[in-house]
Amino acid sequence: MSVDLGISPRLFLLLFAAGFAALVAAGALVANRTGHLPLAGNWAKFRRSVSLAVKSLWLHKLRSFLSVLGIIIGTGSVIALMSFGEGSMQDALDDIKRQGATNIIVRSVKPPDDSSTASVGWVTAYGLTRDDLEQFTTFGDAVERWVPMRVFPTQVRYLDRQVPNARVIATVPDYQLVNKLELARGRFLVDTDDDEYENYCVLGSEIAEKLFPYEDPVGMTVGMRTHFFVVVGVAKERMPTGGTGGSQAAEDYNKDVYVPIRTSRRRFGDVISVRTSGSRINEKVDFSQVTLTVRAEVDTPEGRARVQAVGNEIKAMLDKRHPKKDYAVTVPLDKLEEAERAQTRFTVLMGIVACISLFVGGIGIMNIMLATVTERTREIGIRRALGAKRKDITMQFVVEAVVQTTVGGLVGAAIGIFAVYAVPALWDVVRVWSWIGSEVRLPAKLHVGSIFVSLGVSILVGVAFGLYPAWRAAKLDPIEALRHV
Amino acid sequence: MPAIVRIVDLVKNYYLGSQTVHVLKGLNLAFDEGDFVALMGPSGSGKSTLLNVLGCLDRLTSGQYYLGDVNVSEMSDDQLSEVRSTYLGFIFQSYNLLPQYTVVENVELPLLYQGVKLDAATKARCVALAEMVGLGDRLDHRPLQLSGGQQQRVAIARSLVNDPHLILGDEPTGNLDSKTSIEIMEMLRELNRAGKTIIMVTHENDIAAWARRVVRLRDGRVESDVRNDTRTTAELGR
Repeated sequence: MSVDLGISPRLFLLLFAAGFAALVAAGALVANRTGHLPLAGNWAKFRRSVSLAVKSLWLHKLRSFLSVLGIIIGTGSVIALMSFGEGSMQDALDDIKRQGATNIIVRSVKPPDDSSTASVGWVTAYGLTRDDLEQFTTFGDAVERWVPMRVFPTQVRYLDRQVPNARVIATVPDYQLVNKLELARGRFLVDTDDDEYENYCVLGSEIAEKLFPYEDPVGMTVGMRTHFFVVVGVAKERMPTGGTGGSQAAEDYNKDVYVPIRTSRRRFGDVISVRTSGSRINEKVDFSQVTLTVRAEVDTPEGRARVQAVGNEIKAMLDKRHPKKDYAVTVPLDKLEEAERAQTRFTVLMGIVACISLFVGGIGIMNIMLATVTERTREIGIRRALGAKRKDITMQFVVEAVVQTTVGGLVGAAIGIFAVYAVPALWDVVRVWSWIGSEVRLPAKLHVGSIFVSLGVSILVGVAFGLYPAWRAAKLDPIEALRHV
Repeated sequence: MPAIVRIVDLVKNYYLGSQTVHVLKGLNLAFDEGDFVALMGPSGSGKSTLLNVLGCLDRLTSGQYYLGDVNVSEMSDDQLSEVRSTYLGFIFQSYNLLPQYTVVENVELPLLYQGVKLDAATKARCVALAEMVGLGDRLDHRPLQLSGGQQQRVAIARSLVNDPHLILGDEPTGNLDSKTSIEIMEMLRELNRAGKTIIMVTHENDIAAWARRVVRLRDGRVESDVRNDTRTTAELGR
């Protein structure tokens, strides 16, 4: 199922609510003009009929409560579900935005078929090359910046302390901008570090914590492989990305060590040997990853189109240059749009569920209303004899139904809103005290649109399902009705 | 006196399946303004049907019904409602008060459908009417907390709230004991003396004796039409 409304789900909901309100207002105006609905000019009468409805309903408290229970549950669950859906969707969207929605990430991937790779001796060569990077510059102004990275695992030492599974990220100063890296102390790498082949490094927060539990890391010297680097800065702790499926793996940035890319090449060389369990792999990779930032506004359709266009061009270019497919292009925007589509789909499905549950609630109302009309036949006769017109009787019963569904909707909305705040808090308590689901978060974000929509639909249900019983009541013959016991 | 109610060749038939029941077979009657009329007759004579027609609750099959100068027989349902609301007051045998409303609210009920603004003034008027029928200390009681006579007095107050041209009673004392009946009839006579036109259905002769004019129906036709004024005058002189 693919629903693309071309507008954001929230806008859709707001439009829906606005349209509904306009419809109701227009209906009320017309009804007022034709005298079917005593509104302006006879506000007191309208208020009176509402208070009469409340009085009649109050006479049968349990019955009224039971008949609106469906509406209460319907409204409450719509708001709660929409909010939890919105919360988890927001979570996923934030995750994607953290990766940068205008970025295009090109990574080197080891080709699956090892025998066909260009091996020089024991060295496996694959991935993005410096030539590729040259090609990227042809995009000119469309690309704001490109950040190459060379990533390899290593051990980081200071005195007798060490972090065995740290990750060296050899990169350029722009990395900080692209990845929105914040520093806790010192500075990030600067251009001159790269130009001068300085042995400077910036530590991830976890490494800094392990190597320098008591000291200020800035100015200290750490050992990596056969070289020593002076620490110039420490990154702030950073939330790991959740590994949002596809080719994007979960990343823990807190064990990264950032060094200038030219320094890295000069000290460690192009061929990096990585020791895995029992064997040693020599890899020649120029760049593990290049992150391109497209000059575009992610919130405008033109901006999005440009990101897509650049992404497609990069794919086409690399396709020509790398027949072995030793690369992968990730456009986070794709996932953003996919997530947004999923959200729209979710919204539409929720809307259908809401309609069904409120429809069921409406049937409950109608059922009770029909019984009420029979029970109050005599009252209808009395009112008719005392001068009530058919439309007065219709009005009375419709108002009664609408009062029920409105109150039910309000109560349901209150319960739903309460649930949105209470359930995550309760869940956190449960999470702490039990073993189950300790990893599962339950993010909730109040979906304001759903409150208005579900309230509006409740009122509409009141009108729709109150109308038939009201019509039945109004068409009763006054004499017959008066004779009714 | 001008006739407030005039019916010409009034015919009312009921259709029960293929059968036609002729209830009223061409009645010609006129009631004067300020009169106090008792409609009598055995069951099936058509007196209740006539009252329903007069009360604009039932449609006539043929003939004319003039209420004042207005031909009511050609009106729509909404217009009939308006006539009931503006010109008529009803008193029923079983009181027909709304149990969920207080005395004052019951009295106020006809005003609800008149399109008048319900404010402190109308409320005061309802309270005054309730006091007039002797229920000043029971304004906030519900009908079930009142005796039959008290309930009927609420109904009388209710029938007066719209200042009707015509008060219609359907056996107003039918559910009451004789002592309470006399109280109610005295109240109706007071109203009549104050200028209200009253038409009531009854099958009791001593109730009909309170009226100035007694119309007896039999088989859908007028059997007798007697002015009772001597007796009323005698009572008035008492």
